This record gives sequence, C-alpha cells and structure tokens, in this order.
Amino acid sequence: MKISIIIANIVTRISTFLLRIIGSGGTSLPGKAGMVFKRNLLQLLSNNIKVVLITGTNGKTTTSRIIAEIMKKAGFTYFENKSGANLISGITASFSLNSTLTGNPKYDYAVIECDEAAFKTVCPMIKPHTIVVTNLFRDQLDRFGEITHTLNNIFIGIKASSDSVVVLNADDSLSFSLAETISNKIILFGLDSPPHGSDSDFLSDAPYCIRCKAPYTYEYRTYAHLGKFFCSNCGYHRHQPAISAGNTTLLQNSSKIDLVIHSQVYSCLLALPGAYNIYNALSAVAAADSFLIKHEVIVAALSSFNSGFGRMEILDLDGTAAHMILVKNPAGLNQVINFLSTDSTRKLLVLILNDNYADGTDISWIWDANFEKIKSFSDTLDKIIVSGIRAEELKIRLKYAEFDENEIILEKNYKKLINFIVSDTADSIPVYILPTYTAMFDFRKALSKKYKIRKFWK
Amino acid sequence: MDKLKLCHLYPDLLNLYGDRGNIISMQKRLEWRGISLELTEISVGNDFIADSYDIVFIGGGQDFEQEILLTDLSEEKKKNIRYAVKSGVVFLAICGGYQLLGTHYKNWNDIQYDFTGAIDIHTIGHKKRMIGDFTFKCSDSALAGLTVAGFENHSGKTYLGGAVKPLGEIIKGSGNNGEDQTAGARYKNVFCSYSHGPLLPKNPVLCDYILKTALIRKYGDYNLSVLNDSAEIAAGNYIIKKLK
Repeated sequence: MKISIIIANIVTRISTFLLRIIGSGGTSLPGKAGMVFKRNLLQLLSNNIKVVLITGTNGKTTTSRIIAEIMKKAGFTYFENKSGANLISGITASFSLNSTLTGNPKYDYAVIECDEAAFKTVCPMIKPHTIVVTNLFRDQLDRFGEITHTLNNIFIGIKASSDSVVVLNADDSLSFSLAETISNKIILFGLDSPPHGSDSDFLSDAPYCIRCKAPYTYEYRTYAHLGKFFCSNCGYHRHQPAISAGNTTLLQNSSKIDLVIHSQVYSCLLALPGAYNIYNALSAVAAADSFLIKHEVIVAALSSFNSGFGRMEILDLDGTAAHMILVKNPAGLNQVINFLSTDSTRKLLVLILNDNYADGTDISWIWDANFEKIKSFSDTLDKIIVSGIRAEELKIRLKYAEFDENEIILEKNYKKLINFIVSDTADSIPVYILPTYTAMFDFRKALSKKYKIRKFWK
Repeated sequence: MDKLKLCHLYPDLLNLYGDRGNIISMQKRLEWRGISLELTEISVGNDFIADSYDIVFIGGGQDFEQEILLTDLSEEKKKNIRYAVKSGVVFLAICGGYQLLGTHYKNWNDIQYDFTGAIDIHTIGHKKRMIGDFTFKCSDSALAGLTVAGFENHSGKTYLGGAVKPLGEIIKGSGNNGEDQTAGARYKNVFCSYSHGPLLPKNPVLCDYILKTALIRKYGDYNLSVLNDSAEIAAGNYIIKKLK
C-alpha cells in the first residue's frame, strides 16, 4: 500500500523535474503519470491536510492568492497549486510535490483552485475543509456545456463532501441557488450597494429565475447579472451575506470598501482595482472566516495583497511596465475594459486571442464583449495591437467597433511583438496585455527568453 | 436616407455566444453605405407584428432559455411568424432560432415540443454534440459557390422537408445532422444556419446578400456599394485553410 504511494510520488517528481529541464511549464503530465501508479493518489495525499478548494467561472486564481496572503499573515503553513494547474492531474501533482515521499503532508493547509468541470471528481477525493464557489457566468460552452450543467457538477461535488463549509456568492442568482440544495454550513458574501465610480455593463447571463423562469427584479445591480435580485413570482431572492462590502468606491488601482465581517465594520483599502476584485476579496474573507482567522489579520492582508499569476500582474521589461490581465469570457473582459476606461494615462493595448482547448475553441464570445467601449477611450491608446492564433477575428471585432482598420496592428509573431512593445514604449508608456489562457502561457514563455520574469511553475 | 427595420426576436433568451455579432455586422455594413438600421427587440410578453420589419433575427439559446420561450410562444405569435415568412420578410435564424422556425423538436427522451412551423424542417435531439469549426459551400446561384466559415455547437439533428433547400453543402464539419451533408436552410427569404457565434462578420459576402435581399424587397432593384473586406475575408480564410 505505502510502496505504491512512494512509487507514484517518485514518478510525479521525476516527470516534473524532466519537464522543467526541457523548459516546459507543463503542469498536468506529472500528476497523470503518478495516478497511473496509484489511482486514488489525490485522496491519500489530501487526507491529513485542511484544504480550501476554490471553483467558479471567474476569479478563482485571484481569490486563491488572497486566501494564501491571509493565511501567510495568519502564520499558517500552506501550499498552493500555483500555475493554474487546476484539473485533477495538476492538483494531484501539486499534492505529490508538497508531501513527503511516503505521502505525509509537509504543510497544514492547502489552497487549491479547481476547474468547474473537474470539481465533481476532485471535491469528493479531497473532502475540503472549505469550498468556495466564486460565481457562475457563461463560459466555454464547447467545453462545459450549459450553465445549469456546470451548476449541477458543482452540486455533485459538494454533495459528496457534506462536512465542508461552503462559501457562496449571495449576489449571483445562479451559484447562490446551491444554498437551497445542500445541507452544508454556508457562509455568504456580497455587495450591500452598487460600487461608486463604476459604470458597469449589465450584460446578463441570467435574466430569468433559475427556479421558476419568471424575470428577476433587482433592487440594485453591481455588474452583469450580479446584484440584489428578487423573483416576484416564486419568491427566490438574495439573502443578506455575513461577509459584505458597503460604501465601495472604485479607484484607479485599488478600491475603498467598508468590509463587514459578521456585523463588525472595517474601513479597508483593497490593493486591487475593479468591482470583480471586490467579490474576489470578499470570497477570500469568507474562506478565511471559515478557518476562524482574526479580523485584523484579514484586513491587513487585503491591503498588502499583490496580484496573482497573470490575472493582473505588472512585469518590468527594460523599464516598460507591462500589465498582464488574463481575459477569457465576456463578463471578465468587460470588467477589464471598464477598469481601463477609468485610466486616462496613454498606453499601448495588446489583445491576444487563442482558440486552443483550454481557451475554449469557440472564440465567438468576443462579439458579446463591449469593444465599443474600448473605442470610447481610444484617444488614450497610443496603439492597439492584436495577436494570437485568432488575431484576424480580433481585428474585425475592433473594426466593427469603429476602429480604423489601418490603425490596428496585427502581429502573430511573439518575438516581433515583444520587440515592438519595448521599442515603441521607450518613452515609458505602459503596455496592457490582455491574453487568453494559453496565449498567456505562450507569451510569458516568449518574454522569459528575453527578460527575467517569474517562471510559471513557481 | 434609406432605412431597414430589424427585429431581434427574444434577444434576452436567444443570445448564445456572439449572436449579437450578426446584428453588429448588418448594422455597420449598412451604416458604412449611408443606410440606417432601426433595431427593435421583441421578447417575452411583447407582440410580434409581422409586417413591421424588413429583417427578423433569431439567435441560439440554451435549453433552460428555450423552455422559457416556449411558454411565451402563443398561437398568435406563431401565426404572425408564419405570416412574416410567407410574405417574404427576410429572416436570419441561428441554432435554437433555426429550430424554432421548424415544425417541432423531439428530444432524446422522445418528448416533442411544437414550434412555429414557419418552414418545413424538424429537429431530433441527440446526446452527442456536434462541436467545432466548420465550412460549407453556398447553394444559392447568386453566391456562386461561396465558401462560408463558422463554428457549430448543437446536439439537435435537423432534417429539411421537400420545399426547403439547404443554405449550403458541407465541406468540413457536421452541418444540419452530420448525415446528409446539408448545412442550414433556405426558404423564400429565410436564411438558417447552425453557425452560432457570429456567422456574418467573417462572411461579408453572405451578409451583403442577406441585406440586399431585404433592400430589394423594400426599394426594388438596389445597388450596394463595394466595401474593403480584406480583414473580414482574412478572418474567414483562417478557418477555411485550417480545415482544408
């Protein structure tokens, strides 16, 4: 029994080591290799460790990073699956690499983000202390299918782990509906009023009641379909969350919030911009609360937090500040566009669209995103560049948002693109790079050949 | 200024990935030629008055939304949609919208849902989805073998009745049912396709053909000025080349 764990752990480590030598950031193969030798490797390795498992459409990585920051401040020992390796294979590899050869954990806690489709398999194996469902938006229908299907997958996962505390978004009528179908202890988070300083889009993925199909009414909305919803037909409605933000103001690179933790109010500066990041922070606070971490520690961690891998990080390219923000669906991209629209500094904008499996092979979602709004602040854009496998589609999306097609630069070669960015921004204009998932990995890889940037498996 | 009136039917229910792109494409290509487009959204609880519009657009939806729609689709609304098709209003219907114009949909549990019956097509649900980039060659003689590129994602298999012609013949992909090589449907001024996610932006010749059909119906013989479509064609060609 023990020997097969050891073999599986060794296999995982050797294959991880080999992949690093050949310079690949691949994070799923080692776990697959390990699972060949011990099928329930993940179950065995996660046995004696308190796990917080984060799933949902948007904000998984940022939420995980904030939880980790809070744990660090609280003096917990923990590990994370850092590289966005969030399928069962990648998660298994993370546990393997963070245990002893005989399968004992090296840490007390683990912060694990999990793909929504993988959740129903991963969750029953791990039986986490806490489950966080950030939100649900339409995403990659080619991969996930209908949104109700995703919801059901999450339900199956939670049902098999009845002792877990479940953190749910009170403002999201889709994922909040889980509250009625599970018997777990629940901690809710949400915004108690719409944020000041935003002019949000309300492109809704859920205008009709998930219970009875009548249209919702809203006392207020924050963005997309999130807000204080109410169904006058069947009575389904938002519940008052225990963890909430009131009096929120969105600033250039941060947000001011009155953070409420079980009716205690803390005035708090969140070191991340955008309404979506307030939700990420609140879900992290709720998760921290499930581990009974002191409020003061949580508040301190929120203001010192530095953003997660690719979601909103700033890289230094010979003095050019390159802001990298992952985009993968209309709701997420619209939030980034809203954020950019509030920033009047001159900048270079680079959009990179791939259509690999992990990005979603269907790229038509870009037509739902508000590119017309990018046009409204085009006077702050020094240049706009499109790249990636589907750069041509981005170009016409911009053309139909009334950009002059002759002014859109299409460059699929990353090496040339990097040279262009750096030479063009000699006068230190910041560059904003908005890649999809695999585009972010590829582009980072190209960057790392020329610049010293954090390797993605670290 | 010449003007077309477009009705977007069930915009809040049938709006799956990128359907809005078809409307943006029509609107911009008209505007760039000095023709305006008046957009009306008709959804649950609104009457659909058949002869108010030159073009009707219906997008695709998920099962959850389709069920909401069925409760709204009264006999009156069905009759008006049938009448609009009969009187030559231009329709562009995608995925769920395409199925909706047919007589019925039978799911894999053998439960039948009756639709509008505006055109003689019907759909049988299957468990296996047909997903991916696809290409087809247009059948209308005026389009002279134009190759169209799109992305399909559907579990329904649609079959055409005798009076309904396919919009095109499959080159690569599944099309209507993965069996008979047909792609989409054509009947009077109705255009249907499983290319969900915008069909028109990267197929500008098809877009203009649909617009011209509506303009001729309204104004008689009509000349559309030529636009520079190199960017649009490059986007379509990427798919066409990839599937070759």
